[in-house]
Amino acid sequence: MEKLNKYSEFTLIFKYASKDLGRNYKKISSIILTLFISLFILSAIFTIEDSLKKELNDNAKVLLGGDLEIDYNRNQGNLNLVNKVKEFSTVSQMIEFSTMLSTVGRTKNKSLFTRIKTVDEKYPLYGKVIYEPKGAFDRMQEEPNTILINESLSKTLKIKINEKVKVQDQIFTVIGIIKSVPDVSGFVAFGDWALAGKQTLEILKLNGIGSFLNYEYKVKFNLNDDPDKIEKRIKNIFKNDEKVKLRYPENSASGLKRIINSFSQFLSLVSISAILIAGIGIANTLLSFINQNNMSIAVRKAVGFYSVNIKNLYYLQLLILLFIITVISYVSSFLIIPVVDKYLSDGLGLNVYPKFSLINFIKIFLVGLLVLIIFSIPTISSIDQVKASNLFRNVFQNLQFYYSKKSITLSIILLSALVLIFTFSSEKATYSFGYFVAFFNCLIIFFLLSKIVIYSLKKFNFSSNILLKVSIKNITQTKSITPITVMSLGLGLTLLLTLALVGTNFKREIAKSIPDIAPDYFFVGIQKGEKEKFEKGIYNMDPDANIEIVPIVSSGIVKINGVNPNTYIKPDNDSYWVIGSERRSSWVENVPKDNPILQGEWWDLSKPNELQISLDAKVASDFKIKLGDIFTLNIYGREIDGKVINFREVDYRDLSINFAMLFNPQFAKNIPHEYLATAKFNDPDKFDETLMLEVLPSLSMIKIADYLTKVTAVLNKVFIAVTLISAVTIVIGLIVITSAIMVQGKVKEYQNLVFKILGFSKKDIVYSSIIEFFIIFMSVILIATFFAVTGSKFIVENIFDLLWKFDFKVLVYLCSSVGLVTLVLIMVTNLKYLNPKVYPLIRNQ
Amino acid sequence: MTTLLKLKKINLKYQTGKKNISVLNNIDLIIKKKETVSVVGESGSGKTSLIMLIGGLERPTSGKIIFKEKEITSLTEDEISEVRKKSIGIIFQSFYLIPNYTALENVALTLELNKFKNPKKEAKILLDRFGLKHRFNNLPSQLSGGEQQRVAIARAIAMKPDLILADEPTGNLDTENSLMISDILFKYVKEEGSSLIIVTHDPKLADKSKRKINIKDGKIK
Repeated sequence: MEKLNKYSEFTLIFKYASKDLGRNYKKISSIILTLFISLFILSAIFTIEDSLKKELNDNAKVLLGGDLEIDYNRNQGNLNLVNKVKEFSTVSQMIEFSTMLSTVGRTKNKSLFTRIKTVDEKYPLYGKVIYEPKGAFDRMQEEPNTILINESLSKTLKIKINEKVKVQDQIFTVIGIIKSVPDVSGFVAFGDWALAGKQTLEILKLNGIGSFLNYEYKVKFNLNDDPDKIEKRIKNIFKNDEKVKLRYPENSASGLKRIINSFSQFLSLVSISAILIAGIGIANTLLSFINQNNMSIAVRKAVGFYSVNIKNLYYLQLLILLFIITVISYVSSFLIIPVVDKYLSDGLGLNVYPKFSLINFIKIFLVGLLVLIIFSIPTISSIDQVKASNLFRNVFQNLQFYYSKKSITLSIILLSALVLIFTFSSEKATYSFGYFVAFFNCLIIFFLLSKIVIYSLKKFNFSSNILLKVSIKNITQTKSITPITVMSLGLGLTLLLTLALVGTNFKREIAKSIPDIAPDYFFVGIQKGEKEKFEKGIYNMDPDANIEIVPIVSSGIVKINGVNPNTYIKPDNDSYWVIGSERRSSWVENVPKDNPILQGEWWDLSKPNELQISLDAKVASDFKIKLGDIFTLNIYGREIDGKVINFREVDYRDLSINFAMLFNPQFAKNIPHEYLATAKFNDPDKFDETLMLEVLPSLSMIKIADYLTKVTAVLNKVFIAVTLISAVTIVIGLIVITSAIMVQGKVKEYQNLVFKILGFSKKDIVYSSIIEFFIIFMSVILIATFFAVTGSKFIVENIFDLLWKFDFKVLVYLCSSVGLVTLVLIMVTNLKYLNPKVYPLIRNQ
Repeated sequence: MTTLLKLKKINLKYQTGKKNISVLNNIDLIIKKKETVSVVGESGSGKTSLIMLIGGLERPTSGKIIFKEKEITSLTEDEISEVRKKSIGIIFQSFYLIPNYTALENVALTLELNKFKNPKKEAKILLDRFGLKHRFNNLPSQLSGGEQQRVAIARAIAMKPDLILADEPTGNLDTENSLMISDILFKYVKEEGSSLIIVTHDPKLADKSKRKINIKDGKIK
């Protein structure tokens, strides 16, 4: 080829690449399809995540309920400081608490543990409360003993507007139903809740611990003020108040943001798995495509093209294809936004809109490019094997993947780059990295498995059945699709089985195991003098009830060994909650039966005047606490130093009374306290909530079964969604297998023709295909089950701290469904090669 | 000699677009047991089509084919496969060996299909008989054209068929190999008593048969 300058060379290659692509796109349809599905999923994840985050950021003030939030937790706080803020901004006070809300005047009244938010007339500072009927919100502020309830509460207790309800010993009239409130960030978004006027607090008897009281002051800056300056001013006002927590719009909906990040991390990992599985198929299809163009490559070489020009020609075709697919995938992902919008606006009152992001587009393109280059290097490098001299002999050897040191190194570097990009851009890098390690290990093991299957079948001649022999021959032949089938199906099946086993274990634990060991009810808000009354009330209804009653006190960890506890732990740590806000602690004489001591000694009775702390061993490990370390606790405004003297193994799964911190009773019994109780009834139907409320009106009752039902329902939806999403890897795997069969189409057709000539019936050919499939699929199931069992056991036991059990039914259902779909697909794909047209083949047409 | 094969008023037509192409017209033919017949004619005269119809690889548009007193034109595809498996051996110009099977496996496959007790042993004997002892474990791509055709013949005759159909068996071979192949084929039918229908352009090969049929424009002349 005459030496051209770089630009002319590029123009020439581009011209030929575009021409070739235009003519051959049908031959590489499986590359287009798998690449599109994978990139579409990735695009959808990025688009939804971005749109959601944009919505959360745009509405940060609405979600927080103000430009700033002053949170005093269980205390009213320093009103002098709050009043200072009122001097230069608008402040809305709100108090949230939990108590029982019951129906009245029915034959059988019902009660529900409800979160009530009392608000003043300034509420909401941003956004709107959507309710009906018109004017109900203003009536609630003006008329005492009126309340607005949310739709869920209205449905659960079947309460209608103007119906009376009882909260503690007070009767309220339900004057409206709320559809949504704007400040979902700090308020409950799910479950049962209500809004009441600020005067409500005065007529109810609320206690600090049992009512889960929370005092908040939302602040709205004046329009003309500089927000930064006002923020600094407020910070300055509260700088010496250790009890207050100031929150800013950027901290709003942090829980929701964490869920979005975790979910998008999971989805990104599923999508990258799909892309990598697609990569296996792309490499295979591309090799076949190059093989089909064997002669044209030889002709191009003969007329003077350099090998590198021809390789660039193919790379350029892939690049053009990738660009087009990325554009289509990214644009198509916008179509999903209205669906997401519908669910989010119904559930959270959030609205999402498609948002174009050039960075996201480039990220998706880059991911696609990396995968394409990684998997096409050994394929396109095979072009070097084509010789122009082949034209003289009219002999064209089938090309093989070409691995050189350089290409292997480049592939490893690019693959590492891909893994690192995904790992470090995810919420929890360790989990992502762990996932990739597991994924590549599985990939290698499935590849080795395919080789072991081929080797074993070649080695052992154990059958005289002709169909079995033909099947084995198909599996073991040089260019069989066994490795591709085993790898793509194996990876997809492993992921699906693992998630299903995690899901069923989770559901079983929540739906069956936990209720078996968990109490039926939690009771909070039992005052010091009400302990006997409470016990009597329970035993009157069920003398055989099993009651556990413990004192509780609220305390916050102010310092650990004299320094800020935040220096001991990062906010994303599982144990951060211990210092996140005030926690409830208790005290007991003896070591709790289900809380064995792992390290240290039980209470030192010789030091009754010193606070001794027994700490949850996991918390201790996460905080790196040693025996003898000192915790400074804030208990009712007093700072008390306590020494950590032992670590307990706390198992929170049984939902019984478990505390991260236990105190020595000799010291703690003098602290003002309430009681927390659990009860397990011989016959739960004997217990009447309404009757109990008549005995103790301020008592709050949490029925475990109700919460478990709600959690199970949510988890069910999550697991169905997760399983469906992960099934995309199976879909990609099936496309890869189908394309691999189609790539072999000519060979298959030829083989079936010879079989036909020799006297094989169609039935024989179909049977041998079925046998072939079963041999491969059974080995895949075996290894996939092993990985799924190991993986799900690790996740369930180590990440979720739950009991793991093998679920044979799920395994059978999933494997048989995937197997059946795969078999049908293989059969349908093979169908057109089953009945080859003899004449054209015999005539070499 | 008793009749092995009878073709009655066989017609074969193909539809290409809107055109109807008549390949074979009113063919009547009788082949007796142990008979050797050469089919000659110009390219496109319908010789290969005739072989395919006899082998049950295609169905005639009309007419009847009776093989061993059984009308095979009315049989299902699987029933025809059964007849072919047991009684008809076919040899092609392009050999049609299975590329990923060794020479031994290609031959043994037919025997296994017919449930022979020691298929590999029988296949080895056959290949040895055709001078391919040293090629048992070679793939077709590792064999010369002559060797490939010998394997194809071994495969076709492995289950001692009543009828051997050979479509230009020496068409892809040099003179030396052609001679070897024709000798093997005719020697075999003589020894084993099979009937042979051989399509060829080679007059010398055609002359080896007892009967010669000339086909022109789809008709026997």
